[in-house]
Amino acid sequence: MPLDITLFGIQMPTLLPIFVVSAVVQILLDRVMSDAGIYNHVWHPGLFRTAVFICLFTIPCLLIYR
Amino acid sequence: MRADNARFPLTTFPWKRTLQEWLTIDAPVLIYMAKTIIAALLALWIAMKLNMPDPRTAIFTVFIVMQPQSGLVFAKSYYRVLGTIAGVGISLVIIGMFSQDPLWFITFFALWIGLTTAAGFKYRNFQFYGFVLAGYTLCIVALPVIETPLEVFDIAVSRFSEVIIGIMSATLVSDIIFPRRLLDSLITSEQERFHNILSTLSDPKSVFATFDDANPSVSRFSNGVVGLNAIRINSSFESGSDRKERQHYQYLNHEYMNLSTTFHSLKSIIAAIKNHEKIEVLSALERLYTPIASVLKTVPETLLTPEDLENVIRNLLVVKNTIQECSESELKRLKELTNSEEEDDFISAAYLIGRLLTELHNHCATYLSLLKHRLSGNAPRELSRIVRFSTHTDNVLVALAALRGSGVLLLTMLFWIWTAWPYATLTITMAVVIGLLLGTLPSPLDGVKDFFKGALIALMVAALYDFYLIPAYTSDFLTLSLLLAPTLAFIGWMTTKPKLPIFTFGFVFMFMSQCALDPYYKIEPTKFLESSLAALIGIFFGGLAYLLINFWSCSLTQRRVAKILRRQIIRLCEGPLTVERSSLESTGRDLVQQFSTQGRLNMRSSRLVFEWLLSTLEIGRAILTIRRSLQRLYTQYHHSSIDTALESIKEYFESPSVLGRNELLTALHKSLQDLHSAQMPSQKGQMKRIKTLIVELALIRTVLLNSATFPVVTEDSCH
Repeated sequence: MPLDITLFGIQMPTLLPIFVVSAVVQILLDRVMSDAGIYNHVWHPGLFRTAVFICLFTIPCLLIYR
Repeated sequence: MRADNARFPLTTFPWKRTLQEWLTIDAPVLIYMAKTIIAALLALWIAMKLNMPDPRTAIFTVFIVMQPQSGLVFAKSYYRVLGTIAGVGISLVIIGMFSQDPLWFITFFALWIGLTTAAGFKYRNFQFYGFVLAGYTLCIVALPVIETPLEVFDIAVSRFSEVIIGIMSATLVSDIIFPRRLLDSLITSEQERFHNILSTLSDPKSVFATFDDANPSVSRFSNGVVGLNAIRINSSFESGSDRKERQHYQYLNHEYMNLSTTFHSLKSIIAAIKNHEKIEVLSALERLYTPIASVLKTVPETLLTPEDLENVIRNLLVVKNTIQECSESELKRLKELTNSEEEDDFISAAYLIGRLLTELHNHCATYLSLLKHRLSGNAPRELSRIVRFSTHTDNVLVALAALRGSGVLLLTMLFWIWTAWPYATLTITMAVVIGLLLGTLPSPLDGVKDFFKGALIALMVAALYDFYLIPAYTSDFLTLSLLLAPTLAFIGWMTTKPKLPIFTFGFVFMFMSQCALDPYYKIEPTKFLESSLAALIGIFFGGLAYLLINFWSCSLTQRRVAKILRRQIIRLCEGPLTVERSSLESTGRDLVQQFSTQGRLNMRSSRLVFEWLLSTLEIGRAILTIRRSLQRLYTQYHHSSIDTALESIKEYFESPSVLGRNELLTALHKSLQDLHSAQMPSQKGQMKRIKTLIVELALIRTVLLNSATFPVVTEDSCH
């Protein structure tokens, strides 16, 4: 994957669209997990949520910058 | 806590109680202060590290969205992002299209500000913040680049990135470090409300005594519907809040609204019966109510366990099954003693008691279901229907807000053009902020004064930082943080004080715009003084707008509310039948809540308005039920007098007069007589419908006869 991509004629770092996509995925995942009651069994839901987001965001980032 | 107290006598462990008190009262404030410092410095550090041109925007954003409860932070941030996106977008459009044409530029600017002010006024909760930010962002993006329009894209991108940095640090810190869930505070208030209901209803005196201010439990019965709904909405942004629990709260709120309307109608009818000294009716009603009160008396004062509640529900069900027979036997006895009017009184009051019982039973069942859901995760009650909380905002108020927003913008634009002062853009920004932010306060002028005080003090503090502390003691980010920390902590502490919100906001706004938090120190005394002066003039202009466009008085408000409520009844008489009772109730309550904060009503008039609302709700609901029953009634049982009665209700509320009231009463009486004298149908469903018609018509008649409070302005209660 290239480090920069062009969207609608604007050049931007690939991290930006990745961030947006992983934020959307995170929101959907969060909704599913809270309805399934997973957060009731987690010690620190906020930390867990943040950690999940960091995983979602960094895995594609690492793939790009490898 | 309770168990501990029982085991150990308190005197031996005084420190334990002190510690507990410290943990519940003082510790959260300290934690919150620490959280704001961390979030603010994190945002500042990231913004400086990424070489943003204006790190102040990031740290300012942190203070805008920071709240003690996590859910509030998320809700505010969400709307702030949306507002910023809208503001940045519209700035690009306006600058791109009209930067060379002052007339069109100012026109569109004023339109946008008017639009955002109006929308911010119309929408509740933090949606309001979204619109405030949409207006504010246009000011901070478009105005600085008016001389050099080509820079607009850079400015837009950097302001947007700084806002995002601020929001991310605020949300991250408040969700990770000692998060305080909004849902927990919701549970506490719901618990309090539920206990309040049970204790109020367990005492027959609170139902049968006349209205008095000495009985606080009764007036407490009506508060908090709108507020709790707002908390529920904001809590949906938190981690681990599940849909089912929130649905339960929605139901509880809805049931509570119904319950309190029934309670108040019952009370007003009973008060009227008492005034006319109809002792037989009163004692019959008291006999009817006694079993309910005695069931509720068995409820323990302390924490309610699901087993206790199950017991109560079972007993309530027993009473509910027998109450119909009881009321019929009482009615038979009354028939020998009294005339038809007292019969109507009894029928409607007994019906209300029955309804109160049914609604109480439902409310208890939902609460039990919530308790079980929280304890074990399986709720016995299936909540499939969605209850909506509808809102209503008066268009006159909205139009007034829009006028004020656009007006103040045009005024400050004129000031800018006439003086040709480069710093006048700050005046415009400040005036717009004042217009947007303080418009929804009960008394905006006092708010402007508070804002001004906060801004003045912030200027002094900022001057201290700019010209002494920062140049003398800072060499790197660490020293800057150490220097800033006390002020940031002070701001955090002020946010937790409920009395100082506008003062704090003025302080934050001014401090963050004047403090030298640039990547490289660059501050000049002239610039500092000129920009501060411009901002203070802007506050002055904003206050002027509130002073000038403010012809909203108490009696005008009363007239307006009365008109809206009357129109609601008229609409129910002829409009579609799809209106839900929940939307009827929530709209009315939201409306009255808004008018009593906006329309500067005094205590007496706001109480009057509330009573109008309750009688409107009762009559409106009765009209809906009558029309629905009529629809399903066979034509041979259909009396034309009922249609006449509905028609005269409509006429009366279209143009209220004494004559119209008498006509309406005769029409109601006629239709009731027709129904009483007619042959009862043999089919069970039809008979039930006829009975419903009798009850509802009698109820409307009783409410009309007895209640002195209608959405009709008769006397001036404003003075």
